[in-house]
Amino acid sequence: MVAQTTTRADPDWAWAAYEPDAERPWNLRQAGHLYRRAAFGADWTQLQRALTDGPQRTVDRLLTPQTDVDAFDCKYDQFESIAGGSVGGLRAWWLRRMIETPHPLQEKMMLFWHGHFATSAAGLKDPRLMEQHIRLLRRHSLGSFSDLLAAISQDPATLTWLGADVNRKAVPNTAFAEPLMETFTLGPGVCTETDVREAARAFTGWFVLRGQLRYIPREHDEGVKHVLGAEGDLAAEDIVRIVLEQPATAGWIVRKLYRWLINEADEPPDALVAPLAKSFAEDYSISRLVETMLRSNLFFSPAAYRQRIKCPVEFAVGIVHAMEGVVSTTELADDIAGLGQDLCHPPTVKGWAGGQYWINAATIARRCNLSSALLQGDEPYRDKLDPWAVARRHGCTTPELVSQWVRDLFVQGDLQSNVREVLWANVRDDSEGALRDLAQAVAALPEFNLA
Amino acid sequence: MHTRRDFLRTTLGASALLSLGPAARSALGASATAASSRQSDRDTVLVVVQLTGGNDGLNTLVPYGDDEYGRSRTTLRLPANELHKIDSLLAFHPRMGAFMRLYHEGHLGVVQGVGGVDSERDHDRAMRVWHTARVEAPTTCQTGWLGRVADGLWDPSRADSSAVFVGSIGRPFGLNAQNVVIPCIRSAEDLAIRQASVQLTAQTQRNAAAGDADGALLEFLRHSTRDAHAKSERIESAIESAVSTAEYPLFGLAGHFRTVAQLIRADLGIRIFFTELGGGGIGGFDNHANQLGNHCALLHQLAESTAAFVDDLRRDGTLDRVLLMTFSEFGRTVKENGRRGTGHGAAAPVFLAGGKLKGGVIGSLPSLTDLVDGAPKSHTDFRRVYATVLDQWLGVDSRTVLGGRFEPLDILAV
Repeated sequence: MVAQTTTRADPDWAWAAYEPDAERPWNLRQAGHLYRRAAFGADWTQLQRALTDGPQRTVDRLLTPQTDVDAFDCKYDQFESIAGGSVGGLRAWWLRRMIETPHPLQEKMMLFWHGHFATSAAGLKDPRLMEQHIRLLRRHSLGSFSDLLAAISQDPATLTWLGADVNRKAVPNTAFAEPLMETFTLGPGVCTETDVREAARAFTGWFVLRGQLRYIPREHDEGVKHVLGAEGDLAAEDIVRIVLEQPATAGWIVRKLYRWLINEADEPPDALVAPLAKSFAEDYSISRLVETMLRSNLFFSPAAYRQRIKCPVEFAVGIVHAMEGVVSTTELADDIAGLGQDLCHPPTVKGWAGGQYWINAATIARRCNLSSALLQGDEPYRDKLDPWAVARRHGCTTPELVSQWVRDLFVQGDLQSNVREVLWANVRDDSEGALRDLAQAVAALPEFNLA
Repeated sequence: MHTRRDFLRTTLGASALLSLGPAARSALGASATAASSRQSDRDTVLVVVQLTGGNDGLNTLVPYGDDEYGRSRTTLRLPANELHKIDSLLAFHPRMGAFMRLYHEGHLGVVQGVGGVDSERDHDRAMRVWHTARVEAPTTCQTGWLGRVADGLWDPSRADSSAVFVGSIGRPFGLNAQNVVIPCIRSAEDLAIRQASVQLTAQTQRNAAAGDADGALLEFLRHSTRDAHAKSERIESAIESAVSTAEYPLFGLAGHFRTVAQLIRADLGIRIFFTELGGGGIGGFDNHANQLGNHCALLHQLAESTAAFVDDLRRDGTLDRVLLMTFSEFGRTVKENGRRGTGHGAAAPVFLAGGKLKGGVIGSLPSLTDLVDGAPKSHTDFRRVYATVLDQWLGVDSRTVLGGRFEPLDILAV
């Protein structure tokens, strides 16, 4: 395969739709790659179907599932509300959705936005606010970025967590204006402190009182404000409009999404970012941006392949999903938090730094222990996952077939030859125990930790 | 017992050993065990002990020689003949004989009159001041001071977790980091790969050769995974070797210290341990009523556990690498409140333990009559203690962590 590095990539080639050919064939590796990025990994049926359908039709289905997503979401919304009143319940139901959803790309993009508009339940008195926040992310996760941003700027959970729930005329509060401009939209180093202070004046009058957003007109500063070259009696919605008009915003989002979907190891050159940013700025359609990336030559090139470290959610949900089962997601949420990704509690408004930061000796040990507990059927997950039954269901009846199947399912054969030999030598029989050991060893491999 | 040489061999491979500089090679040539052979600045360890609830400093380091103490503490006054006297003014609480011993050995020091924001009497907000070290904007600051240190210490070529919380409450905010993942554990095993999961897994990973042109990320993961397996083995042996030798009392805090000692012995590159006494339920330091008995039990636990920890480290030869520091969100009022308890206060003493202390009592006793809302005023900004620990002990620039320069205290013999 020709190594097409990002620095040398021609943007026209990079973002054109990938058409498999002899040099860049569509195969199990590419199908697995697509499902790792656009979903939480594939199960065996999804991999096989993707192989038959080819890349573009598989992307079609990921973008627009043929199943009734609304019915699924509606059912889960009800579960969530019943379990509501606790952030623990919310985390558990969200994870369960990720495992079972017919629309994994939606949940995957929610997770992206959860890290981008990083809002934590820490300090929220009412857990229902977090529930509303999560639903807001789901509603807009593949919709319009401008709608999403407008909703965030009015979201009681976000405002309260940032300490922006009180915006008096006499004491303009930069607690929302600053992350809005520096983290959510323009990126660092674009606006000045004066811009932030002036924008804060535009947000005066907005309060969160008993979990409800309220506007108190007499607390709004009606004076003239100057923000990023605009001036006038600017109000909250004007600031949202002004930051969306800045070219830096689309570029910042494209770069961030590039890290999420394509490659987190290398910063993309401006030439690659520019065409996507230009097109994104036209209507801020998230799904179109995601679609362009997922269909592209670059996405299916070595510049993207295994160029991301799985976040803890991807790691854990990927195992459960591949095993076609469901485990207690209350426990799973705690274990994932122990790996460094406590859903609904990002560390700061900048979200999870991720990448190599996910990895240290302790988190490696915990990833190992978690995959062991899940695949060996240990406490607290017990025998909810049954690799044996799944393998049989897919027609693996001999030790050789089982071994091949595990490697194809988990890492699509991406193994060093000497590791493959060890695994091969250890397929002593086709007992259930041997299969569990094998699955666990594969899930503990460095390769499996790459998305 | 695994040596540092084993460690480097397993984690880096032989070729990396050869590429190290001559100084490193000669250090590796020494066959002493890892823990005792390392004296460089990088290897110092800080153990922070949070006393949750607001410790009554006046009944911990007792100013028995100040008449105002006796006058103000009608029921809580500790009997002078039972105190462990340092001099004619100060003494340790009757149940802190172990602190007295450490003090005489030069392994314990006290800084008097330390405080955050004297007027802040709300537990959460006062604790937030100590955790963020941002006096002006503690609520909007989103990282803890030790979280910032851990972020600064991060080095992808080592991929160590440089800070760990040991305890049974949620992770204190002081460890909230922007980037790195800081584990919360209850025992040393929590950092190890469980035996059950090792066999085939370890075998495959030993076979994972370095050097394939598979990209930097995969190489990073392979290196980190091998490192994690090596560390895991060292944790197991540190736990086994500790069982027979170390004697710890049956206190929760002593258990946490035992864990810390095991992890120091395992030589994992952890620079900061954070543990806690008094939080997560009833019985903490926040004694508004009937303080005497409860406070007594906590101080006994603190003193005995600390002494066992110091003794254990001394046996291991690692005491000189370790500095322990206590803090509490505030002290308490001088006068008791009519319910045989005390109210939220301000200044309080900070205790230090370790092998490289100047020892003694640093700073004067704050006045017991010139008060702020009934409590002694602090004369030493807590960030001066932090700055000392950061610059002189951990070797981390305190200005980047604290956002300003704070005059260090003369407490360490380094």
